[in-house]
This record gives sequence, C-alpha cells and structure tokens, in this order.
Amino acid sequence: MTFDFAIVLRFKEALLLGLWTTLQLTVICVVLGSLLGFLVGMARSANSPFVRVPARAYVEVFRGTPVIVQLFWFFFCLPLVIGTEIPNIVAGIIALTLYMGAITSETFRASLKSISREQYDACTALGLPHATQVVHVVLPQALLRAAPTLLSNCVSLFKESALLSAVGMADLMFIGQNISNNTARPVEVLTVVALIYFAIAFPLTRVVTRFESRVLAKLSA
Amino acid sequence: MTQSSPAPLLQSDDRLGTQRGAPAAGTAAPLVQVRNLHKGYGPNIRVLKGLSIDMQPGERVVVIGPSGGGKSTLLRVLMGLEQIDEGSIRFAGKPYIEASPAGRRTTIDTVVRRQIGMVFQHYTLFPHLNILNNLILAPCKVHGENKATATARARALLARFGLEAKAEAYPNHLSGGQKQRVAIARALMLDPKLMLFDEVTSALDPELVAEVEQVILQLAQQDMPMVIVTHDMWFAKNIASRVIFCAGGVVVEDGPPEQVLGSPREERTREFIERVFHIR
Repeated sequence: MTFDFAIVLRFKEALLLGLWTTLQLTVICVVLGSLLGFLVGMARSANSPFVRVPARAYVEVFRGTPVIVQLFWFFFCLPLVIGTEIPNIVAGIIALTLYMGAITSETFRASLKSISREQYDACTALGLPHATQVVHVVLPQALLRAAPTLLSNCVSLFKESALLSAVGMADLMFIGQNISNNTARPVEVLTVVALIYFAIAFPLTRVVTRFESRVLAKLSA
Repeated sequence: MTQSSPAPLLQSDDRLGTQRGAPAAGTAAPLVQVRNLHKGYGPNIRVLKGLSIDMQPGERVVVIGPSGGGKSTLLRVLMGLEQIDEGSIRFAGKPYIEASPAGRRTTIDTVVRRQIGMVFQHYTLFPHLNILNNLILAPCKVHGENKATATARARALLARFGLEAKAEAYPNHLSGGQKQRVAIARALMLDPKLMLFDEVTSALDPELVAEVEQVILQLAQQDMPMVIVTHDMWFAKNIASRVIFCAGGVVVEDGPPEQVLGSPREERTREFIERVFHIR
C-alpha cells in the first residue's frame, strides 16, 4: 500500500478552517471555564456549607464523568429536559466550559491553599486590611502559582475539543474525518490532523515546563 | 552577595550598657502590661499559664527558655496573631488585647496593633513583589502614604542597612541574611513603637547570623523598645537590658542579663543556662 500525503494539501483550506473553529471554541471555553473555575475554587474554601457543598458536588460530578458523556448529555438530554432546541455550538460550549470550570477550580483551590500561614501572619503584622491582603498579597501569588497548571489545563481542553466533532461541530477533527471518509485516505488525513494538534499542543507543554520552574523558583523565597 | 554589609557594629558593649538601667517601675507608665495570660491549643495543650510582664519604654527584653516554653507564643500574642483564653494586654496605657468569654473571639484593637512591628523566624517577604514594593506596600495601603515619599523613605532605610543595591531585586535573589534585614526594614517603615523579633536568626546559615544581629543592635542604639526571642546567648547578653527566662508557660526568672545569664537565682534557669552554654 502506498501513501500519498500530497492529497492532504488539496484540503488545506478546509483543514485550516477547522483548525480556526477549534481554536475559537478552545479560547471561548478556556476564558469562560477559567472564570467559572476561579469562582468555584474560591467557593470551595468558603465558610458557609451552602456555598461549599454545591461547589464540591459540581466539581466531583464533572471530574468523575467522561467528557463525551457530558457533551452528549447537554446536546441530547438538555433539550428534552427544558423543552427547547439547543444549537450544537451552545451545547458544546456549555459542556466544555463546565468541564474546564471543574478542572481549573482544583487548580485555583490548590494554589490558594499553597499560600503559607507565614504570609498571612506577615500581613497581619503589617496591619494590612483584609481587602489589601487579598488583592495585593494572596491573589497575585495564587494566580502566579496557578498559571503553569492552568496553561496545561488549556492544552488538555484544546485536545478534548476534538470531541465536539461528535455533535457535528465543524472543527479540525470533524473536517479531518469528513475528508478521510470522502477520499478513503484515512492514514494520510488523520496523521496530518494528529500532527496539527501536536504542533500546537507540544510547544505549549514545553512552555508550561519552563514557566513552572521559573515561577516556583521565584515563589520559593 | 556580601557587597552590601550593614553599617559598622557598635564599637563596644558600653554604648548599650550606658542605657541599660531601665526606668524604675512606677516612674514611667509601662509600655506593655501583660496580665495573667493564658493560652492553649486545643483542650489539652496549655502553652501560657498565667503569664504577667510589665515592660518599660526603652527596655530591650530578651526572652529565653526551653522549646515549648511559650516564648514564641508570647510574641505571637503580643503581635495580635493569636486568640487568648484568659488575661489582657495594655499597650502604651491603652487597652490592646482582652480575652473574651469562652467561645468568643479575643478582642484585639487593630489601631493599637499597628504600633507594633514583628520579624519572624521564617522568611515572610512577599515573593511576588520586589524589595522596594515589599517595603512600601503597608505604608501606602495602611497609612495612605504617598508613593514617592514612601519610596524615598524605603531607599533611605535600605541604604542604612547596606541594601540599597537590592531595592529592585526580588526576594528569591537575596541571601537569608539579606531577607531578614529587609524584613526588619519593612517593619520599620511603619514607625513601630515596639519591635518583636522571633528567633530571626535561627533559620540562617551561621555565617549570616551576624549581619542580622548587627542591624538589631543598630536599632537598640536608637532606643527602640524590643522583645527578642533567641537561642543565641552571646546575642542575648549583648543586646538585653533585661532577660526573662520563660518555661512551662510562666516567667521563672526575670532580671538584668548579668543576673539571669550570669548567676541565675532559680535552679531551672541555672540548669538551662548551663546546658545551652555547654552546647555552644
């Protein structure tokens, strides 16, 4: 069997369009999911159980179920439950945002917890009001500490976004599959699709590693 | 790293010695009045058991004693970092800390608390801020000081401690000794009326201890009242105007350094001093 990778070039535009869709969806879900994750991460250390318990339940459910099941649930079940049609893009964004929110909330929670008691003592000894403590001491350190893990959460989401093809979103995976079916050249097309994902995800994971050691060195003082 | 050594140490012990005689009790209002302080962690561990101390203005009190004897807890309580079970503290004649009935939070006057500064055993600089910003954060945010004025004061203070070259550096680029000097400068930015030092050199490599102790001695020369917890008996002897031996949550012996360190009256003090000097 011979492979003809040149055939993929004929579908360059379509693949790039798919990649563009993938990137857009990833960015939307990263932004919304991180905001949600930040709020949930804070809620998980709240004093009131009425805030803490639902936040925990949400995180456990979304971390404990497959993303594709979540996606299908919002695409197929939610319309039945609420009695209205939901466009696949909306279902997709809801599902991936909620998934991202659950995983990033753990990142934020861990980074907030990692601020040592000594830092709080120092704030008290300097007489810093609570709001100043949070805004100028706790949050900057927590966010800096969260950044590398957050970035790797983003890389995961970028890869997980390929699941959106299962509900008919015309992302890179979906277009790749279509081309592969129509040309009967799955090896060439899907290999190229994989390489495209890799070409974007791999440099980002390298960045995470380098960034992480720098952040840790700085915050170790 | 060592290009920034602090200003020369006092020439002889005598310069401090001349100021040693603390005002006799009754001639001046005490700066700190600790009354019947009780503090425990959980139901079974009692750390402070009815501790009372009066401290006069200008005194440099060194607290020594075995680990777990309540020294650090006393300092943390004085800084308003801990809840107490019983007792009260007055500062400069004003009520400062008052124990509340069981289950209620200790009353701590935060305005009074701002007059006290503290340096800890562990490094507590804010790692995400450079040295200058570590110094000016509290003056700008607590006292509403103008940033330019605070910066000028901070630079002057850093220069005094031989750290002017480090103003823009981040804490992770400083040695342990430099970090502790910066922590002292940061506390001084708020013009405290009392400084608390909690084993500030015990996390340091031996060769870095002197530069930090010299800075504290500099402050002593300027009559800064201070309470110091230390295991360094040489330092205790040099800086103290008064030494308190604290064990089992109470004051066992309290007197001038010559007495408590030199010829202690209490058996427990004597044992402790002998053991500590023997190790050194």
